[in-house]
Amino acid sequence: MTLDAPGRVVLMQGNEAIARGAVESGIHFAASYPGSPSSQILGMLGKVAKERDFYAQWATNEVCAFQACLGTSFAGARSICIVKQNGLLCIADALFCAAQHGIKGGVVVVTSDDPSAHSSTNEFDSRHMALSASVPMLEPTNMQEAKDMVPYAFEISERTKQVVIIRLTTRVCHGRGSVSLGKLPDRPRKLEAVDEWDRMVCVSFRHQIMLDTLEQVRSLFEESPCNHYSGPAHPEKLIVAGGTGCLYTKEALHLLGDPKDVGLLQLGCIWPLPEKLILSKLRTAKAVLAVEEVDPFLEDALMNLAGREHLDLRFYGRREGTINRVNELDPDHVLPAVSAFTGLPMPARQKTSDAPLLDRDLNFCAGCPHRATFFVLKQAMRREKMPGIVVGDIGCYFMAGSEPGQYGWQVNNCMGSGINVAEGLGQLSAYGMDQPVVTMCGDSTFFHTVLPGLCNASYHNSNMTLIVLDNSATAMTGFQPHPGTGLTAMGDEVKPMSIRAICEAMNCTVEEADPFEIEETTDLLTELMHRPGLKVLIMKQPCATLMAKSRKEKVTVWVDQDKCLGDACGCDRFCSRVWGCPGNSWDFKAGKATIDPVSCVGCGVCAKLCPQGAIQVKKEARS
Amino acid sequence: MLSTFALDTQVLQKDLCTSCGACQGMCPYWSSWNGRTVWLFDCDRENGRCQAFCPRMPFDEEALRAKFFDPSQADPDIGPCRGLYLVRSADPSDREGAQHGGTVTALLKLALSEGLIDAAVLNRMEGEDPAGFLATSEADILACRGSSFRIAPTLAVLNRALKEDEYKKIAVVGTACKTLATYKMRSKPFPDRDNNADNIALVIGLFCGWGLDWDGLKALAAKYVPLEDIAHMDIPPSKYHSLVIRRRDGAEVSVDLDEVTPLVRPACKACADMTAEFADISVGSGRSADGWDVDKGWNELIVRSEKGEKLLQLAREKGALEFKELPEGALAKLKRAAAGKRSKAAR
Repeated sequence: MTLDAPGRVVLMQGNEAIARGAVESGIHFAASYPGSPSSQILGMLGKVAKERDFYAQWATNEVCAFQACLGTSFAGARSICIVKQNGLLCIADALFCAAQHGIKGGVVVVTSDDPSAHSSTNEFDSRHMALSASVPMLEPTNMQEAKDMVPYAFEISERTKQVVIIRLTTRVCHGRGSVSLGKLPDRPRKLEAVDEWDRMVCVSFRHQIMLDTLEQVRSLFEESPCNHYSGPAHPEKLIVAGGTGCLYTKEALHLLGDPKDVGLLQLGCIWPLPEKLILSKLRTAKAVLAVEEVDPFLEDALMNLAGREHLDLRFYGRREGTINRVNELDPDHVLPAVSAFTGLPMPARQKTSDAPLLDRDLNFCAGCPHRATFFVLKQAMRREKMPGIVVGDIGCYFMAGSEPGQYGWQVNNCMGSGINVAEGLGQLSAYGMDQPVVTMCGDSTFFHTVLPGLCNASYHNSNMTLIVLDNSATAMTGFQPHPGTGLTAMGDEVKPMSIRAICEAMNCTVEEADPFEIEETTDLLTELMHRPGLKVLIMKQPCATLMAKSRKEKVTVWVDQDKCLGDACGCDRFCSRVWGCPGNSWDFKAGKATIDPVSCVGCGVCAKLCPQGAIQVKKEARS
Repeated sequence: MLSTFALDTQVLQKDLCTSCGACQGMCPYWSSWNGRTVWLFDCDRENGRCQAFCPRMPFDEEALRAKFFDPSQADPDIGPCRGLYLVRSADPSDREGAQHGGTVTALLKLALSEGLIDAAVLNRMEGEDPAGFLATSEADILACRGSSFRIAPTLAVLNRALKEDEYKKIAVVGTACKTLATYKMRSKPFPDRDNNADNIALVIGLFCGWGLDWDGLKALAAKYVPLEDIAHMDIPPSKYHSLVIRRRDGAEVSVDLDEVTPLVRPACKACADMTAEFADISVGSGRSADGWDVDKGWNELIVRSEKGEKLLQLAREKGALEFKELPEGALAKLKRAAAGKRSKAAR
């Protein structure tokens, strides 16, 4: 990351390449809230921040991160804000205003889209944000471009006084490739004093200026080194691709025998589109195939352009249907599309295996406290005459909506929504809605977006219960610190904030419980749900991954198969089937329960649940 | 159909569950809360004992009766009957705190001391609510006197005690729903998973008109007498049309029955069996020409089985029970009451 060896070629992950690009750009400031697939970038920057003399922050949420970048920009600093697609939507208001007031020091926003929503709840195409906010956007194809685009984006940003967005997608973030390193700056440039009459204000008369800026960027993009063309000078068949679509197209063309009559226009400049460059190839084309991630953004934009120019040609792509409309691209989807588009026959493909892939559902980790929490919640809800309503939120506990969490929640909107959805439900008792209402959030989400909702729900005395799943970590994205942890991105120890104290200050009834104490906590939750007003139950138990690392004693959990009755027990394989921890397994040879010592982290909850008392727990001091 | 699903759709959702506890105590899937049976998680079985033991699931009543009782002694209104008696405990201290004559207490004490049983599954108050209890001593038995007018999941305690297999001669005392479930257990629908049903040594049925909704009764009691201050509750003969609550200081409060009947569990309205026909002996309140003030210290007792007959004989020999001559027409009166419940349930 900080190797000062210009020209040296190293293997880098896409996220790493972005971080390296930021370091090479001589940034003063970096801020982010973690979100897959780009969570790692700020973690890497945090580690080298002190060495490279810049400031890095895991912000409480994306809005804090982006607006802090605007602040540093006002002082002329270079700053980078890293978000995922949902985070980009969070900062929409700030971004639209920033686009209109412009910036001083360079501001680059790196956003990562998650086609197929591998680690998200929805697919979203960030390119629409660039279009609607009127800000420039770049999209790299590979790791080299990912690194090189960061200094280029800062250059554009500072020349045009506008925020620039770099759009990544999962495969670019997580893939690895060769990167030729650039030069490292000596240290970030010295900042000058802010003048009394300096201004950075969003006012309506700047609308035209913003649009003029966009045209200025467009002319810069016409000559940008980020766009590439290969093929005949005047192609009849033109493929326009962005991001990973370029790589898949190149692979497809290669497998189809590298046809000489097909042109491939790779666009790194996604918005505003370099129209002259595009038109120079489009005018002669009879047919165009757009290969891009998520939405038919380029397909539609090119269609728009062709219509404006009265061009007579056909478009193919995700809108038209040659390529799958939803889910991410891959060579298996792009190759048939390119084959159909070019009229070249599909190459014979060799099947490597007939063995079926094993289905593996998402599950909480072994020893995860969330499994216990949702077990408790299910029990408490089933005690009601009419089970209550459970509203979910975003975090690892999203999985609780399906089997691992006993199908624990019924509604889920977006991050931080649970408290507000529940607040509404909790106001309906006058209309006969007397079922208990429960929602949840993780400790990181609590700080991220739940605070204003909690304020609202408490002030309006909504009849509901908030369960804070306090596992002392932003676990889903890789244990980034948050205001409750007492750590910063740069490794400094600071005073942590108490969730309990915050809730009490907001006049909530607060209780704390250990989700591993199944019976006790079920009784507490049952009782709490029936108290009037807003209740907060803080479930305190560290994330299993943290717990296993920090524990002083060695805990061994095993099944005494002499005690386990197997299928003769009325429990119907309760440990492995219902409790469902990956550590609990079924010994098909013995016809008894067993525990996988590799998966088990020794939480010991299953021992409390076994009706035969067949699961044993042994604790011994670590040697 | 999965057993949990069958019980949920055919019993719980149809409001037929009395929460006797027969489905509980054998697995982690069924539990009970505040007098309601709680289905916690989905079980994968289609032949669960929960379903087989539930008194509200369809079964062949005649076949079950024929298995345990002499069909020639079956009465169409009150079931198998070898004799009807008016009795009370001979020990006055049993009668204190008992619902009426302390007959069940006396019979259990006798059976325990004679070694006919080594434990008894009963109800006692735990805080505000009745709870099943495994009594293993005379003191335990005495602690369980009186009625709470609420059905507790007592049979969960029975199922657990049978599974543990520590006590080999267990008596069960309960209303019709519970004793029927107990006979379903004794019939061993799954011989390879009988949960040691042979350890059930004696079944004493209690006459029952209905049980009340727990929350409803608590709310009603709170209106008149704090729950913790209730020493005894009783429903005198119908002409009084009241529920009489006796406080710990002895003062009595009479509550109009019209306030009580809306709290009757829907499941109890569907029950046709007032006298607990599946039992060795069934016991209820006494009725005679002497009037309620005298009768409330006595019990009517139906002997149903040979085992019941022997126990009553022993009680007579040992002087555990006092006998009083049954007034003329007592059987006919009891039959009328039982037939009345049966016809109401049919509606």
